[in-house]
Amino acid sequence: MVDRRTFVKSAAAATLAAGIPGCRPDADDRKWNAAAFSRRESSTVAVLKAPEYDHRLAEIVASGIRLSSLDPSGLRVVLKPNLVEYDPEGVINTHPALIAATIEAFRTLGAANVVVAEGPGHRRDNAYLLTASGLTYDLKNTDAAYVDLNSDDVREVRLRSRYTKLGKLYLPATVLEADLLVSMPKLKTHHWAGVTLSLKNMFGIVPGLIYGWPKNVLHWEGIESSILDINAALTVPRFNIVDGIIGMEGNGPIQGGARHVGALVFGADPVAVDATCARLMGIEPERVEYLREAGRFLGNVRGERIQQIGETPEELTQDFELLENFASLKSSLVG
Amino acid sequence: MRPYAPAEREALEELVASLGGSVNRDGGWGASAGLLSTTEATALASLALRSPSSEQSLPDIEPALDWLLSRQLRDGGWPLSDVVPGSCWMTSLAVISLAGMPRSDHMQRAAVRGGLWLLRQRGLGTHWLLKVMYRLNLVPRTESAVELDRDLIGWPWTAESFSWVEPTAYAVIALKLRRPQLPLHTPDDRIDMAEAMLLDRACPGGGWNYGNSRVLGEDLWPYADTTALALIALGNRSTGVTTEGLQALRGMLETNDSPLALALGILAFDMYGRDAGNLRERLIDSIDQKGPPGDVRALSFALIALSARGDLFRFDIDG
Repeated sequence: MVDRRTFVKSAAAATLAAGIPGCRPDADDRKWNAAAFSRRESSTVAVLKAPEYDHRLAEIVASGIRLSSLDPSGLRVVLKPNLVEYDPEGVINTHPALIAATIEAFRTLGAANVVVAEGPGHRRDNAYLLTASGLTYDLKNTDAAYVDLNSDDVREVRLRSRYTKLGKLYLPATVLEADLLVSMPKLKTHHWAGVTLSLKNMFGIVPGLIYGWPKNVLHWEGIESSILDINAALTVPRFNIVDGIIGMEGNGPIQGGARHVGALVFGADPVAVDATCARLMGIEPERVEYLREAGRFLGNVRGERIQQIGETPEELTQDFELLENFASLKSSLVG
Repeated sequence: MRPYAPAEREALEELVASLGGSVNRDGGWGASAGLLSTTEATALASLALRSPSSEQSLPDIEPALDWLLSRQLRDGGWPLSDVVPGSCWMTSLAVISLAGMPRSDHMQRAAVRGGLWLLRQRGLGTHWLLKVMYRLNLVPRTESAVELDRDLIGWPWTAESFSWVEPTAYAVIALKLRRPQLPLHTPDDRIDMAEAMLLDRACPGGGWNYGNSRVLGEDLWPYADTTALALIALGNRSTGVTTEGLQALRGMLETNDSPLALALGILAFDMYGRDAGNLRERLIDSIDQKGPPGDVRALSFALIALSARGDLFRFDIDG
């Protein structure tokens, strides 16, 4: 569906542009309200080694939060993992052990309340997905609440950018009322968008009850465009923790293969976090269309604007397998 | 109606109490207790609460029916909630709920108007330009990424988008229930095409997920809840696809204890005359051990399934 739409749109745009002398498709194409965004000069991203999903995770997560100079004391924190599907053989979702460790870390650091919230993009039956993925067990053990964002109460949010024609979105009250929204994606390739990380993970806040499963409206509007509009619409303070202990390569985000990286990535700027993650995957972030665009107004994508702390990313960089149509994303460092 | 076993009766009482306890002051239900009323939850809860044994004291569903009737829009459809305006896919559930009510002209007229609204909605098909490109081999088939017949139209979740299994299944059920009151040929044409769409979207090996069977050359796997819904919508059609679907559903439910999946599984097997005794026992056990589900949709379907009122979705009950 998406590729048809994108194809027809781009074919039509290219045809029109080619027929008009001097018209370049990328000329003065700023699609955001400049007054609403002020990109910081530099962003800090912490990469910490985490070899396994084990008992050390809570301390590693707490270290990542401290290193990022985030003080969550007194905050109502909403953790938004990536929980989209279940495959007993696969590594689709943010690992429940990391979610449990993050709940513990935020509580230890003084958060007033920590809830886990997700609006799975494929499956509507949360009871099944939570149990099959193992998250029910960890939620019970940590005595943490779960909110189904697909059916939460919603509020209308006017978009602050115009990559899609949506103009507005209805978004869940749980997300909009959080003091801190923590995107917790899995480090994965994505067969439509190249990579799926902190920014793409926000698809899960778009309520299925309104937009359906698999949130097809966003696909019709263009995945990259939707990623940009959703993230630009959010004014709630954000933090990002990426599960890069075991990532997914190849035909992600559902059917790719497992890839052990052994790292967690932390930071407040989702663009900088995602750029760092892309580099860990052996991908040049500025070649990922939506990351390059996000780097123009939502955050920092260029290496010189990102202060790396913790581990040196280059030492953990891997050569993730990419689908043929994304081969051009490969960084020269691994290619 | 057969008598209920004690454990079954106890489970039914718990479900009724839980559903009755989660109603909002405005008479409707939200997706779970404390959430704003939606058409879907209100329609399903009001449908479920007319089903159990007459021995039980049931909450009054009149306020829920009033909620539904007062929310119907001028175009005949229903909105998602008071916050999200505009007619939406939940119209099918309002029609199903009102169609199952004892005769009341007002409700039946509302259901027919809802049915007419449904007939005006359709999922998007293949763009004409792309059809030409396919015909001229300008776009490789692999580029289309998904392998399904885009010309088979069902119902979308939202206007101007593609057809998917769940909204199509609900719309088919609603239209079948209202078929005698709708314009002569149109419902049959739409139902026939939607059924063909559902059959086309079945996963290799049987069953349905949200509505894609293969992506980028890889098989996708089915889900229990959507498989059961598709089977119910297909209404006891005996084809290789439904037989495979029933087998796949049986297999999926061996490792799926979700109350929603078990309840819909019971309704699907009942409809096709297959044994669902084991699923009933597991659903009763689940309610006994974990309590009723918090999700009003699951709660409602569990109540309908355990009270053996699958006939609420049978299309020959409404003459």
